[in-house]
Amino acid sequence: MLEKILPDEVFNILAKQVNFKSINEIRIRTDKPIVLLIGSRRTFLSNNGTTSNIKEAIFANKIMVEDIIFRASECSIYSVNEQIKKGFIVTKGGIRLGIGGDIVEENNTIKTMTNFSSVNIRLPHEVKNCSLPAFDYLIDENKVYNTLVMSPPGAGKTTFLRDFIGQLSERNYAYNVLVLDERGELDIGTLGCIGNFSDKISFAKKTVGFENGIRSLSPNIIVTDELGQEEDIEAVNYAVNCGVTVFASVHSDSIDSFLKKPNFEKIIKNKLFQRYVLLSMENGPGTIEGIYNENFSRVRL
Amino acid sequence: MKYILLILLVCATSFIGYTFSKKYRIRAKFFQSLLYLCQKFDIEINFSRERLKKIFENLDEKNKSNLKGIDKNFISFIDKEVSLEKENLFKGIPFLKEDEKDLIYTFFKSLGRSDVDSQSKEIKNFQSRFDAIVTQTNAENKKYGSLTMKLGIIAGLLLVVIFI
Repeated sequence: MLEKILPDEVFNILAKQVNFKSINEIRIRTDKPIVLLIGSRRTFLSNNGTTSNIKEAIFANKIMVEDIIFRASECSIYSVNEQIKKGFIVTKGGIRLGIGGDIVEENNTIKTMTNFSSVNIRLPHEVKNCSLPAFDYLIDENKVYNTLVMSPPGAGKTTFLRDFIGQLSERNYAYNVLVLDERGELDIGTLGCIGNFSDKISFAKKTVGFENGIRSLSPNIIVTDELGQEEDIEAVNYAVNCGVTVFASVHSDSIDSFLKKPNFEKIIKNKLFQRYVLLSMENGPGTIEGIYNENFSRVRL
Repeated sequence: MKYILLILLVCATSFIGYTFSKKYRIRAKFFQSLLYLCQKFDIEINFSRERLKKIFENLDEKNKSNLKGIDKNFISFIDKEVSLEKENLFKGIPFLKEDEKDLIYTFFKSLGRSDVDSQSKEIKNFQSRFDAIVTQTNAENKKYGSLTMKLGIIAGLLLVVIFI
């Protein structure tokens, strides 16, 4: 898919001189050097591959940025406008493009985004078995614990969730799993595996997805990415009260900063989640820093 | 032998007349299908948010045939096989005037570049301009299409009379 999005000159360098599998992010900004995030290292893209010398770096321009976004929408910006309004596009295969530009508002609502100035291409990776070290701590004999996976952005939350669903399926835990894929990142088609017992609702708000999903698909487990808004917490609360296990993620770099997060007081106070998994970039994305119980005591590491 | 040659002469002039008249028919049909394409875009974009490639692929065979390959040329651009240059878009389409090419090129360049509202307004704008060309090409086809055909036959018959 990347070859359909990127300009040929950029794609050819990446394909020939950089190991694709090692790239986590490609940042393309108008009149700025193209930056690659390889592992946890940032470097510039040059004609010879990568460089730390800005003078050798390839600079992007406005046409390049706009063309990438146009191509990512399969040449149909109107078809992804709802995503663009939220600041991203997700392509087939789960490549997520964060977009910078000018917001156009009408009657206090975002109508669209124009004048695109930057794009952050995040490449999904299937890291097979990355959830395995934590697996036994997140599942009891007959039950998956309500679990919240936390990490800073880009440290492997989504990859962890995806792998966990796959592990459940591989081990024949025949739970009905509802993957509530608000940003289209969890199911990345051929690359990732969301298992044989999974249903999927994509691009729906969590409130809508949780309610409709529980009503129509009667899941045992709901897996969803990036909780944050107050309404997300309400949706989680609703699901747990319906007897559905929730497996979710949230942006946070430590337990301390999580405890200070607004909107999460209710979750913490009511001990909605029985397990917290903290990930970091320490040894590359998806490094498990610790697993905690509902009282935030370590159960592992 | 002489009569056979004369019959061939009538056939040849009729064929020339037919070829000229065909050009008018093709142009009329091309713009009618382009207008239909605009209407289809407007509906699909507003109601199903269908992607451009799918809209082109779902066109019926009759309209695809009338568009003389411009749909395929644009799909090649969507598939990133060619750039959206005039010569690529109008490959295999020799019957358009330069100003018509400019208009159609601008239309294709505008496709897929904006949100639903803006795209729909843009399409409606082009629709009205194509509508005017359809009226014009239909009139041309009516006037000159049958005329050139008849002139071809008459010219052939005249030559026969002269040679007899």
